[in-house]
Amino acid sequence: MEFKLEAHRIVSISLGKIYSARGQRGGLKLHKNLLVSLVLRSARQVYLSEPGCPPEPPHAACGPPEEEPPPCTTVWAAGEPPPPPQDEAARGGPRLPGADCEGPRSRRCCCGCSCCCAAGGGEANPADCATAGAAAPPPPHCPRKRSAGERGQAGSPVKKPRREVEDPPPPPPGEQEDMDTGNVASLISIFGSSFSGLLSKEPKGRRRAPLDGSETAPAEAAAEPGQICCDEPVLRTLNPWSTAIVAF
Amino acid sequence: YRGAGGGGGSNDFQWCFSQVKGAIDEDVAEADIISTVEFNYSGDLLATGDKGGRVVIFQREQENKSRPHSRGEYNVYSTFQSHEPEFDYLKSLEIEEKINKIRWLPQQNAAHFLLSTNDKTIKLWKISERDKRAEGYNLKDEDGRLRDPFRITALRVPILKPMDLMVEASPRRIFANAHTYHINSISVNSDHETYLSADDLRINLWHLEITDRSFNIVDIKPANMEELTEVITAAEFHPHHCNVFVYSSSKGTIRLCDMRSSALCDRHSKFFEEPEDPSSRSFFSEIISSISDVKFSHSGRYMMTRDYLSVKVWDLNMENRPIETYQVHEYLRSKLCSLYENDCIFDKFECCWNGSDSAIMTGSYNNFFRMFDRNTRRDITLEASRESSKPRAILKPRKVCTGGKRKKDEISVDSLDFNKKILHTAWHPVENIIAVAATNNLYIFQDKIN
Repeated sequence: MEFKLEAHRIVSISLGKIYSARGQRGGLKLHKNLLVSLVLRSARQVYLSEPGCPPEPPHAACGPPEEEPPPCTTVWAAGEPPPPPQDEAARGGPRLPGADCEGPRSRRCCCGCSCCCAAGGGEANPADCATAGAAAPPPPHCPRKRSAGERGQAGSPVKKPRREVEDPPPPPPGEQEDMDTGNVASLISIFGSSFSGLLSKEPKGRRRAPLDGSETAPAEAAAEPGQICCDEPVLRTLNPWSTAIVAF
Repeated sequence: YRGAGGGGGSNDFQWCFSQVKGAIDEDVAEADIISTVEFNYSGDLLATGDKGGRVVIFQREQENKSRPHSRGEYNVYSTFQSHEPEFDYLKSLEIEEKINKIRWLPQQNAAHFLLSTNDKTIKLWKISERDKRAEGYNLKDEDGRLRDPFRITALRVPILKPMDLMVEASPRRIFANAHTYHINSISVNSDHETYLSADDLRINLWHLEITDRSFNIVDIKPANMEELTEVITAAEFHPHHCNVFVYSSSKGTIRLCDMRSSALCDRHSKFFEEPEDPSSRSFFSEIISSISDVKFSHSGRYMMTRDYLSVKVWDLNMENRPIETYQVHEYLRSKLCSLYENDCIFDKFECCWNGSDSAIMTGSYNNFFRMFDRNTRRDITLEASRESSKPRAILKPRKVCTGGKRKKDEISVDSLDFNKKILHTAWHPVENIIAVAATNNLYIFQDKIN
């Protein structure tokens, strides 16, 4: 139980770091945020696997089904309007891809989702996101003598994550361990609601936090009320790295 | 004179305070925080970069027989603004002016050259002296005002006259727009013509004369960013083999690459990794295994890596484990959660070799820095503080009390000041002179003069 509390605390701290990294001068620090997301993932695993977990919610509310198609980065071209987040949350909807966005982002995200842009204070809009996604500054003439298709070899970093993903730690009974895909919308809605829900210790019956936020979280007025859950279903479905990437 | 690199190593003699540079104010301006320190190849010049984008170069004074004790003090030689804050309008983010690294070029003529880099742009600076000035121009007078041509009745040849020494720094090359992610390293090649720059996911090779193109030699960006599990944290060229370089990762691994084997070095020639000790696994194992610095030894036979709690020396011929491991501040292992909370766990400590590769040095908290003698296996903890800053005062070894009864002069772990961190240190290439950056102050220590 002690581990569970510590894990919960670490999850909160980690999410706080990811959130505050958005306004940092100099842009997103990829290295630091990668490390934070790794800690977040470890803590989440411990939190979910510790005894004392509430019973499994039905799969429909939880994560996307196992046979979810592979990452759909190519599907999500910049400029396409994003789906409304609430619907997706209910269905465990499509993944917002990490959209191959060059470079660190502070306020904009390239995934075209107005929700996380809005979470940044409501100043961005889908048009901004679209532009950001479409126009990475052209690099100088960097000759590369092979296509992106020929990648890596055994031991190269690209292959390693695949192996990790394919052999995840044995999931707790009934849990579908789906590290690759996740329900982004709930995390985004958490950001949008200034963390009041996440940091709360109230039981999971509570589905909405007051919009003004009763905790001392930063006062980002959420355009998106969203669903505020610090509870099991959300933590189960979080894919910290993808959501962190996508949120940026 | 005591030979190159300090004879028996760091503990056969004592370290003395020599100089401290920087404001004494308790209130430190963020722009004044030193972010990199580097001696040049001869050790006569010492460069620092700060968060405000400035570079300050100190020059060692010639030894003066009338003042034998001054023994080559470092005084300001040149100060210039290397980088300014920029704004990337396309991505709507600010590019910090903080100098991440300075690397000197080997000296080829009277001028000195160095590379300085911030997150996105590398610049080649020429630092040259001017001690003569031409006088006696025909078309302008001494103030520079143009003379009335009708009043010129005779021509004269301008002559060179001595003037007060002026040191000028001018940017000779600007290498921009080649890095999408934040540059963490630059390294000059032993061919003296090329250098590499590394960001989180890519390493580029440049020619010093060519600014409009660079060659990408390593790219670890996955096709799908969601699969990203590691980033490049440091990179360096081998000191002698111009085709070899290494890069370290956030997973605690080092890859050695040979540019002769293929144009793109995504395949490594050697892969250095120490198996993880399963008993020490924690939430933070991954973070503390991330390598913050990698440095080849001067000999080129070894390399040293710094992770959060230790320094490791690797033999380039042995990939499966380091040959030496030195604990820098093992007492922090039980505090990792707090250090994660206050962000200290992300601090990137550097490390350095002495000239003879017999000793290594790295920084810690509370303005402590540590030295390890590789031969005697002795280690010492010293402090850079104003209190021990009397001229030629011998530095007293410090000790951290890790538990039980605290002895006199020991400091307990909980009393350590984590805001006083020594991330950047440099060792003179030949002599036992070290430069230690403590926030906004630069301390210079030398070995005791017998």
